Amino acid sequence: MTRFLILLSCLAASVSVAVAQSADQSKQSQRIDQLVLAKVDQAGQDRRPGIDEYTFCRRVYLDIIGRIPTIDELDLFIEDKEPDKRARLIRKLLQSKGYQSHWYNYWADLLRVKYVGDKLHHPGNYAQWIKESLRSNKPYDQMAHELINAGGPLYKPGNGATGFYARESMPLDHLANSVKTFLGLSIECAQCHNHPFDVWTQKDFYKLAAFSSKTHLRVEPTANLEKKYAKDRKILKNKSFDEWIVYRESVRVKHAAIHGNGTGFMRLPHDYQYGDGKPHEVMEANVLFGEMPSLNHQVTKAELDTLNHKNAGPPINSRESLADWMVSPDNPLFTKSIVNRLWHQVMGTELVGPLGSLSPDDMGPHPELTEELVAIMKASRYDLKRFLSVLLNSTTYQSRAAALNADGPAYVLDGPIVRRLSAEAIVDSFLSLKTEDPDQYVPTEFQWDGFTHFYEKAQKMDVQDFVNYSIKGPGRAAFQKREENAAKKRNGDTGPKHLWRVSTYGHVDGSHEVAMLLGKSDRELIDGANKEPNIPQILYLMNGHLEHEITSQPLAYLHRKLEGITNPGQRMEVIWKAILGRLPKASERALVSHEQDDLIWALLNSNEFRFAK
Amino acid sequence: MNRRKFIYSVGMTGMSLPFLNASSAVTSAPKAKSVINIFLSGGLSQYDSFNLEVEQSVRGNSKIINSNVDGVRVSHYFPTLAQQMDKLLVINSMKSNQGAHPAGIYKMLTSYDPRSSVTHPELGAWVSKRLTTEQDSLPNFVSIGKGSAGTAGFFPGQWAALPVKNTSTGIDFVNRNPKVTENKFAERLGILDTLNADFAQDHSTKETQAYVDTYLGSLKFMNSKDIDAFDLKKESESIVRLYDEQEFSRSCMLAGRLVERGVRFVKVELGGWDYHDNIYGKLPSNASKLDKGLSSLLTHLTEKGLLETTLVVVSTEFGRKPEVNPNKGRDHHPDGFTCLMAGAGVKAGQVYGTTTKDGQTAAEDVLDVIDFNATIAWRLGIDPNYEEKSASGRPFKLANQGEARRELFG
Repeated sequence: MTRFLILLSCLAASVSVAVAQSADQSKQSQRIDQLVLAKVDQAGQDRRPGIDEYTFCRRVYLDIIGRIPTIDELDLFIEDKEPDKRARLIRKLLQSKGYQSHWYNYWADLLRVKYVGDKLHHPGNYAQWIKESLRSNKPYDQMAHELINAGGPLYKPGNGATGFYARESMPLDHLANSVKTFLGLSIECAQCHNHPFDVWTQKDFYKLAAFSSKTHLRVEPTANLEKKYAKDRKILKNKSFDEWIVYRESVRVKHAAIHGNGTGFMRLPHDYQYGDGKPHEVMEANVLFGEMPSLNHQVTKAELDTLNHKNAGPPINSRESLADWMVSPDNPLFTKSIVNRLWHQVMGTELVGPLGSLSPDDMGPHPELTEELVAIMKASRYDLKRFLSVLLNSTTYQSRAAALNADGPAYVLDGPIVRRLSAEAIVDSFLSLKTEDPDQYVPTEFQWDGFTHFYEKAQKMDVQDFVNYSIKGPGRAAFQKREENAAKKRNGDTGPKHLWRVSTYGHVDGSHEVAMLLGKSDRELIDGANKEPNIPQILYLMNGHLEHEITSQPLAYLHRKLEGITNPGQRMEVIWKAILGRLPKASERALVSHEQDDLIWALLNSNEFRFAK
Repeated sequence: MNRRKFIYSVGMTGMSLPFLNASSAVTSAPKAKSVINIFLSGGLSQYDSFNLEVEQSVRGNSKIINSNVDGVRVSHYFPTLAQQMDKLLVINSMKSNQGAHPAGIYKMLTSYDPRSSVTHPELGAWVSKRLTTEQDSLPNFVSIGKGSAGTAGFFPGQWAALPVKNTSTGIDFVNRNPKVTENKFAERLGILDTLNADFAQDHSTKETQAYVDTYLGSLKFMNSKDIDAFDLKKESESIVRLYDEQEFSRSCMLAGRLVERGVRFVKVELGGWDYHDNIYGKLPSNASKLDKGLSSLLTHLTEKGLLETTLVVVSTEFGRKPEVNPNKGRDHHPDGFTCLMAGAGVKAGQVYGTTTKDGQTAAEDVLDVIDFNATIAWRLGIDPNYEEKSASGRPFKLANQGEARRELFG
């Protein structure tokens, strides 16, 4: 274990490297601007004006660390008189703890980090793996490769990439999800039938699925180990339900794993209905497009076709080849998809097309810009912080947000648009008003949970130890709780829950109901978050806990900043800066006569607060 | 024609050839205006409730008692409902293809198997979307209880159920904070209007406008006279006395009250039926809740004249095994479980479908959950084949491939 922790801290130490905007990067930012301006001119539109320091500060806090700046953070930036202050703030935020908090929410939605009880998939280790990847700024292609190719124990600390397979362990569904997640390609229709408007056939789908054939999640021990456990399993089952359950579940925590890594062959379904293949016919692995990686087949399709319908050939590690193909810089969709996603995150619109349904040839409405951003991503070697730094330092990003309207001029990808904040960003922005240091309790290292904690403990446990654990144990209801409590202790002081960022909530901490009301993803589907209003959400914002937590809470940081300020105009400035990140406009000064809590309430309920501009 | 037939049909005319002309029977019967779906998450044991016509060993500790209908017998855990069986149709031949809770619940509520590429709307969301008119001031899909509220699936969020987690507190945050007076609240709204109007000058989009509209809708809702539909303190004494004080009973009362106000689909969840061990230690208290709450609801609806037009549906994701396991519990069993219906012209006082006597499988008149849901939709006057497209353009039918089993209605 110590070895593992040392490994983690080494990774962490090696990270903080190059996020500074180098000359190379600045050139890349400028190149983006040149292409954008050329398009604006070509369309005969006016170039967008820049933004003031207040707007920039709020925007960049929201886009990099997912919350509004506290009033102190805002003041600090405004008072800074150096010409490179914007670039320095971008760098500072990319290196701050808030970065992993904000981007974790994004990746957890994309990667569907969720507890699924009946499959014994506990997502704590998976979540930790994602957070660690963000902390160490793991290159994105490496991250994707590890997720696609993950194998071994689910709860082994550091091996949480296995959570991606475990989250959807039906092989065909898993493949459709992987392709959508990493390539932005929608092929799920072809899983069951040829789609009239799609180029991909069901046969194509099965050929791609052949790479990962025979990969599976197994929560019980493998057959030869199971023999050792079987006798006591039977005895306990007939003796006590509680003891049997504890035995079963605790053994599973040690042994649940992703097994198999592809045979390179797969059979068509029993009801295959097209003329280009027969039911159960063996399909040899093949990619949808691009270069086919070489596979080390031990048998031929012809040989397998003569064998039993269940036989898909011996394991040859072809899932790794699938991962190679997926994340290759030559894959026409891998880089384009992540660039499309990141542009969408910071600008609010798609660069190329719908996040989950791109096509290999489509380059979007501004092909040169797409091409340039793809090239920048490759030149950045999939270092996401470096890429974001290039994007955020561009004049394009730092220009006025457009409100897209049907009757407005055509949008030519020339900068950000007005858009609602994510649910997590809204909730975390409340935190910026409650406390001086909203990121204080963002963990900086691996956090244990009941499963990883018990997995480690179980390495020294043999059959008899599991029996003893189950018999002397606290019963099924308390079993998991006990391990969770031990894990909590091990993590040390994690601070009071009401001062946590949303990202810190794990499955054992309950769902974050306020964030759910505001549209946080339930992580059932890829990109499941929504930004729509609904009545329960609005009722919460008007009549809910904010009243007690912020609006009229003297201990909230906002109110502490107001202490001792008697001039009503100055008080108004503090409120406006803290909530909207700007000074009151002249036209708003007339509101000064209102009660302070009424102003705070109105600002918290305003569109300006929950929309980024 | 005789493939499907009611058994134990008692005291009903036309028993001999009840389905020769199903469509003419339909036109004469009242159709449902609303549905109350009592959902027993966890899996009700059919052999300890309403399917006692099996071998004695299958019935475990359950004792058979007679009901107020000749030939319809129930378990002794439901003594009050036994006196209401003339209002209920017992369906003993339910079948699902899902044997784990999340997937089984999902299937029962949406008619679809869970998939990771799409989420499907619950039946209540389909009903609400199909039947809501501009005149309606209350949402048409309300869920009562601590369980998950009803999902809108791939529909816009407005079609999700309005959750009432607790009948004594009602809808969350529907009232002003106690310290905020009406005048103060108006003051705040005035400032908010100013701010939003100012923001809209340069930043108005469809999305910002949707927020302004939803604030208006929420305020209308807060001030609506109908909001007291959620307030049980406003219920008349003659109704209140029908119920006991338990939360499930209160939830049933609220469901009846909402249906009276025209709400189309109310889901009431009563969980806790997953008795893998010590079933006879744990079942009685939960059974008693259902026994009393549902009985009171049936009386409530009858007294208000609402049972004619309200389809009461008691469903669960699957049943439990015919064997009592070594831990004195029963494990999951999706092949041959039991659901109930009442009202809206359903053939009450009868039993539909059977399991084999050994309790292992659904035998006669097998009713798949998708056909079950199709039947509910059809009774509300909605075509079960009604289709909507998901965000990616995939078409989905309300009841999947389900077909209405019209013969359940007289």
